[in-house]
Amino acid sequence: MEYPFWDVPLLGGGMLIGIIAILHVFVSHFAIGAGLFLVLTERKARRENDTALLDYLKRHSTFFILVVLVFGAVSGVGIWWAIGLVHPTATSALIHVFVWAWAIEWVFFLVELLAAFIYYYGWDRLNARTHLAVGWIYFAGAWLSLFMINGILTFMLTTGRWTETGSIVDAFFNPSMLPSLVVRTAVTIALAGLYALITASAVADDALRERVVKYASKWVLVGMTIIPIGGIWYISRIPDQAREISMGGAPVVTLFAAASVIFSAFVFLATLIGPFLFPKRFHVTFAFVIVALGLVTTGVTEWVREAVRKPYIIYDYMYSNAIRTEEVQNLWETGVLGTAKWALLTPDEQSDPLKMGEKVFRFHCQSCHTVNGFNGIKFAVKGWQKDFLDVQIQNLNQLKGYMPPFLGTDEERHALVEWLYSLNNPPQQTAVRR
Amino acid sequence: MPVVVPPPDPAGLPAPAWLLQVLLVFTFILHVLAMNLLVGGTTIMAISLRKGRNSPFHAELARRLSKALPVTMSLTITLGVAPLLFVQVLYGQAFYTASILMAWPWLAVVALVLLAYYGLYLVQFRPDWVGKWVTPIAWVSALFILMVGLLYTHNATLNLAPNKWASLYAMSAAGLHLNWSEPTLFPRYLHFIVAAFAVAGLGIALLGVQAKKAQNAWGQEAVAYGSRWFIGATLLQLAVGLWFLFSLPGNLMQNFIGGNVVHTVVLWAGVVLAVVALLLVNRSVPAAVALTVLAVALMAVTRHSLREMYLQPHLDIRTLEVTPQWGMFGIFAVLLVAGLAVVGWMVWQFYKSGQPQKAAVE
Repeated sequence: MEYPFWDVPLLGGGMLIGIIAILHVFVSHFAIGAGLFLVLTERKARRENDTALLDYLKRHSTFFILVVLVFGAVSGVGIWWAIGLVHPTATSALIHVFVWAWAIEWVFFLVELLAAFIYYYGWDRLNARTHLAVGWIYFAGAWLSLFMINGILTFMLTTGRWTETGSIVDAFFNPSMLPSLVVRTAVTIALAGLYALITASAVADDALRERVVKYASKWVLVGMTIIPIGGIWYISRIPDQAREISMGGAPVVTLFAAASVIFSAFVFLATLIGPFLFPKRFHVTFAFVIVALGLVTTGVTEWVREAVRKPYIIYDYMYSNAIRTEEVQNLWETGVLGTAKWALLTPDEQSDPLKMGEKVFRFHCQSCHTVNGFNGIKFAVKGWQKDFLDVQIQNLNQLKGYMPPFLGTDEERHALVEWLYSLNNPPQQTAVRR
Repeated sequence: MPVVVPPPDPAGLPAPAWLLQVLLVFTFILHVLAMNLLVGGTTIMAISLRKGRNSPFHAELARRLSKALPVTMSLTITLGVAPLLFVQVLYGQAFYTASILMAWPWLAVVALVLLAYYGLYLVQFRPDWVGKWVTPIAWVSALFILMVGLLYTHNATLNLAPNKWASLYAMSAAGLHLNWSEPTLFPRYLHFIVAAFAVAGLGIALLGVQAKKAQNAWGQEAVAYGSRWFIGATLLQLAVGLWFLFSLPGNLMQNFIGGNVVHTVVLWAGVVLAVVALLLVNRSVPAAVALTVLAVALMAVTRHSLREMYLQPHLDIRTLEVTPQWGMFGIFAVLLVAGLAVVGWMVWQFYKSGQPQKAAVE
């Protein structure tokens, strides 16, 4: 409300963040796991004097830098870009609370980045010992960078004691931080194997291909086994309401939560039955199928993780529509449009309930709803009469636990009702007269 | 239309404003140096790829640049993250607002960078299917990078114009505005781009110095060619810089031409250093590099002072509440030093490993 609201038609800003974020998560977790995959496999190859395996690793690392250093790094910045545009108030809060945590993450990323380049360009230059050391530095930098981001990300759902103490230590080491770290670390291992299946299936030599395919599949299986264990721990640490939303409280979220479990099982089974048991017959198409399943799993899981945080964007501190919980009292008095200076209400709009209602919608509701696209309000209120709309809006947070309370004045609520009603019942006569 | 400025974040600053300003300007200098090498280097590489068909010198220059530029791109992005972090801490009220007004073009920066980056790798690795498309691909990368620069100038100038925000937003909330009407837009953009060619020229000269050490005849030519870019761009900069200066609002410009002693000295000391570098480059490239880095640093300070002058009437960072997190800052400082030491060790190992091989080959 403090910032101008960016109107993203049809898709909605949240979806825009989601698209960028899911692709980034899918690549950035690979970036970390691949570090471990490269060093452990290189060590194995060097110990066993396996030059064929080393050659494979060199080619795999080209794929690695093209995916990780380019797409991974740029899409990470892309999330930052997108959240600043869609949720400036929340982004500002995260930046201000965690400035030094971000700065520390930046140091780790800088180390990770340079280590990746030196590892890659150093294959034929550095001696084996130094090359491996640089590989370990890469992995350490990458994982520590996850460690930092994970603390900030989990804070948004489990703010823990921070809401009372305001201490950065409480904010960072919040209740779901450790379980989430376990899950994400397991994801990095699974994804390292998943991506390696692609490059492994392209190996020309039959014997080597079979060996590497089998080896990579074990990474997927190990990762996918740890994920549910960490996952249960994680679910036990999140707020009750968040758990309820994912288990029946909100049908769509529950559906996605179920999809997350089912697709994870698919990834596990496909890997077990495919590359693990029958590495000889493994084909690159099958590799892409498993990777696609992995992407779907990542997508629905991250989506659920975001969805259960409702009605907050930062739990117990700020609602999804950028209203701080401590501001609620003020809003009851000054109203949405009295608070949202960017509404820039003209006298003409002030006297027209439809125009006023539209602005109330923009600054109070549009963070989550589009008009006629994703989570479109036009479809949600189809067939609703004015008095029903009014009751719903007055009791939003009671009727729908995942929605913040409506905080406008009576006048604003009436205007919003008029406007919402007009979406499905256009006031034709007045339109013609004008 | 009223001037609407978002309120400061209630969390307050996590350190005194001066410290955050120092970090902002310092990391910006690092970013801008890498950015200069990238912007100038990519365009010069595209030129050399074409010229390289007839000139072994240009073919070799293009080859060397194609190996260096993806890493430069990566460094530009990563070194840009830190100043963007500190700018959001200090000037978030302006940064988020201006960015939202131009949301789509601003988001396009990410896509353009991604495509330009992949273009650079295509030029470096040159897979078979690229074939004769390598020069056009290099040009597309160069063009995208130059466009990103222009979008940054739009963003930066919009950041500095709180009086425009409300009227732009009242026109449309779709995030499609740009700042074309801004009189400083083109001189400011050119000021940065011309500097990029100067610095990239120096970078090439420095590559030449390295090559000369390894008894490489190419080095001699590279020093001369890079210096020509540096000299030409810096001479042009004298005109562009003045244009930028005189495009500023009169009351702000006054501060740089005697109105304020400190601002005037910092700006003109930078100019003098650049001119001395210009005169010195044919005698000693490293000396010219040192002076230019110093000039860039002074210009970054001037850029920061200018931002303060523009914004102070609307948002004054000196009035922001400070709730310092010294413990966290301490950890950051220690890790930064440790991280740089690790990076230094790796780079040294890499550099060391390349020396004897190179000498043996050439």
